[in-house]
Amino acid sequence: MRSLPALLILAVAIAVPIAFSGNSYVMGLMVSGLIVAGVALAWALLGNLGGMVSFGHAAFFGVGAYTSAILSAKFGLPVPLALLAGACGAALCSIVMLPALRLSGPYFALAILAYAHIFKILATEATSITGGSAGFQRFPPLPTIMGLDLSSRVGSYCLLVVLVAICAAIYLAVKRSHVGTALRAMAESEDATRVVGVNATLLKAWMLLLSAFITGLFGAMNAHIINFLEPDYAFSASWSILPIIAAIFGGYRTILGPVAGAVLIYLFDQIIAKELLPVGHEILLGILLAGMILIAPNGLFGMFQRKTVKGAAHAAA
Amino acid sequence: MIRRNCLATACLAATIAFAANARAEDITIGAHMPLTGSLARSGQAFNEGMQVALKVFNESQSKHRIKVTVIDDESQPAKAVTAVEKLASDGAAAIIGGYGSNIVGPASDTSNRLGKVYITGGAVSDELVQRGNKNFFRINNNAGYQRGVEGLIEEVKPNGVSIIASTKEAPMLLAKGLEASLAKKGFKVTLHPFDPAITDFKPIINKVKLQDKSEIIFMSAYENDYVGIIRAAKVLKPPVKAIVGAWSLATPKMYSDFPDLMQNIIGTTFLPFPVEVKDEEGRKFAAVYKEMFGKEIEYASTLAFVETMVLSEALARSADAGTLKSAGLLAEMKTTNRPSPLGRITFNEVGDNPNFALSMGQHRDGKIPLVSPAEFATGKLAYPAVPW
Repeated sequence: MRSLPALLILAVAIAVPIAFSGNSYVMGLMVSGLIVAGVALAWALLGNLGGMVSFGHAAFFGVGAYTSAILSAKFGLPVPLALLAGACGAALCSIVMLPALRLSGPYFALAILAYAHIFKILATEATSITGGSAGFQRFPPLPTIMGLDLSSRVGSYCLLVVLVAICAAIYLAVKRSHVGTALRAMAESEDATRVVGVNATLLKAWMLLLSAFITGLFGAMNAHIINFLEPDYAFSASWSILPIIAAIFGGYRTILGPVAGAVLIYLFDQIIAKELLPVGHEILLGILLAGMILIAPNGLFGMFQRKTVKGAAHAAA
Repeated sequence: MIRRNCLATACLAATIAFAANARAEDITIGAHMPLTGSLARSGQAFNEGMQVALKVFNESQSKHRIKVTVIDDESQPAKAVTAVEKLASDGAAAIIGGYGSNIVGPASDTSNRLGKVYITGGAVSDELVQRGNKNFFRINNNAGYQRGVEGLIEEVKPNGVSIIASTKEAPMLLAKGLEASLAKKGFKVTLHPFDPAITDFKPIINKVKLQDKSEIIFMSAYENDYVGIIRAAKVLKPPVKAIVGAWSLATPKMYSDFPDLMQNIIGTTFLPFPVEVKDEEGRKFAAVYKEMFGKEIEYASTLAFVETMVLSEALARSADAGTLKSAGLLAEMKTTNRPSPLGRITFNEVGDNPNFALSMGQHRDGKIPLVSPAEFATGKLAYPAVPW
């Protein structure tokens, strides 16, 4: 019963390219939704296991995108390696944020927001490398591997589904490990955890690095899918905000919640909200989120889990 | 016999009616426009021009009815890409592009990938025509803007020009082109690039005032930047003799929104305000525009009108030839050769319109006479003249 949501998501993931392979619009929406899903997963990992609310994931997203694009365009690095380098670049940039780990709560959130802005300014000013605010356009798209053109919408979709699944598996592995147990204990009481010998700062740092790595990977993917970068877009606040909305909507304490939340929120915004309200449709997103928080503070998956537990309890009784 | 004749006549009438119906064709085109976001002001004007063009085209003949589906790209490249995908999926015969080289670039790439003809009047970056996208067409380009501004500066012969330019692609392209060409002609030119995020232009204006001591400020930027630059200049009052700008500056809307800032400002334009058009198509455009929106033509609307007319005519020709579903539209676009309110429209081998040229208009008490080049002038240049 507990694996039912995962099976459902898997079935939908397989059904989508079969049903919509000829519809590049729907596939494009799914691709964009999955990119947000990857970032939402990374954000929830930091928020749930690290106990840190970040408003600055756009920094990792942008750095990952630029690193991958520049390395593939200017240094001829093959795109798969450039994607990995983009993720590593984002993880490296998170190292300069480590001092912020001394802060907690809203202070950490504000500090990381400031870091995101610093990276955006760097990308704007480093004109010779990034093209500055004029943008950076000429870099290779995703390659064709074993006959599958990854730059096509179906190809990108398949690759993203695999990447999201791998990242979810890593998240699950961390959560179930001793590190995960320590992190969850730390979220309850950091002082108490320190007393029993857990190096809280080190664990938080690892979570920040991992979260930045995943976000950078999806930033890099997005760059090679859209084939265009400019600081305003790559470091846009929406890369910080949309994943938060998605994770909270889906249930950020769960692993599948942010993934499902991101895809649903993105599709709702682009298909329903934009149709109902072509101008200013984001307001519907706000109303939906507010309603969700009031009805189910733990998100869709939190609500589902509660019902499952209740159902199991009734069955046992 | 009579009965047989009646039957034959009825059959003939039915055949003719069927044939006429078969020829009459509804064609849908798609458009992505920045109706919201930082470029919304231009996007709205483009949308208006496009709607007027469709009304004029549909009323001019009864054979084809062309409709447009517009999607707001929210001034964002990724949303524009999604919009193009949606429009193509919904069966749009071709795409009309939005505004801004950074948005048109990825959107037209997507259109090319989907095999859809893409036309724009809102992007001037040279890179767009160097990519080799065979489905890409545009009616404006950087060279046209550069020629217009250069002509004015050569006429007034200032002791120096300070160029204040946004580091966005299109403004910087124009700024660097002007810097090089004016310097070659012996003018002293100083370039002041600025980050698009900045809103306080006083430090730059101070440099113009204290270091450059130029007689002309040229702004290569967008609407919000113009307002910031002129406001700062109004406060610091540098000893310049004119303030000149590029796209979307010499428009009635800029004057009605910022009357205290626009007096004597000079900008690139096609038509004077109130509109004086000499050709039949221009008169029709102005009349329908007034009827639909209750105002005079906007600068960006003229671009949208022309691009939509060009595309509509090519679609009709292609539909007549029965090649709309194949590559006929692309071939018809390439044969375009017509006069327009922007001058003659033809496309070269990379889809660019080599005839694009602009005049310079000056805001004067709510009117915008053309002041340069001399052969198109409808008024005399007020020089020296600044807004304060």
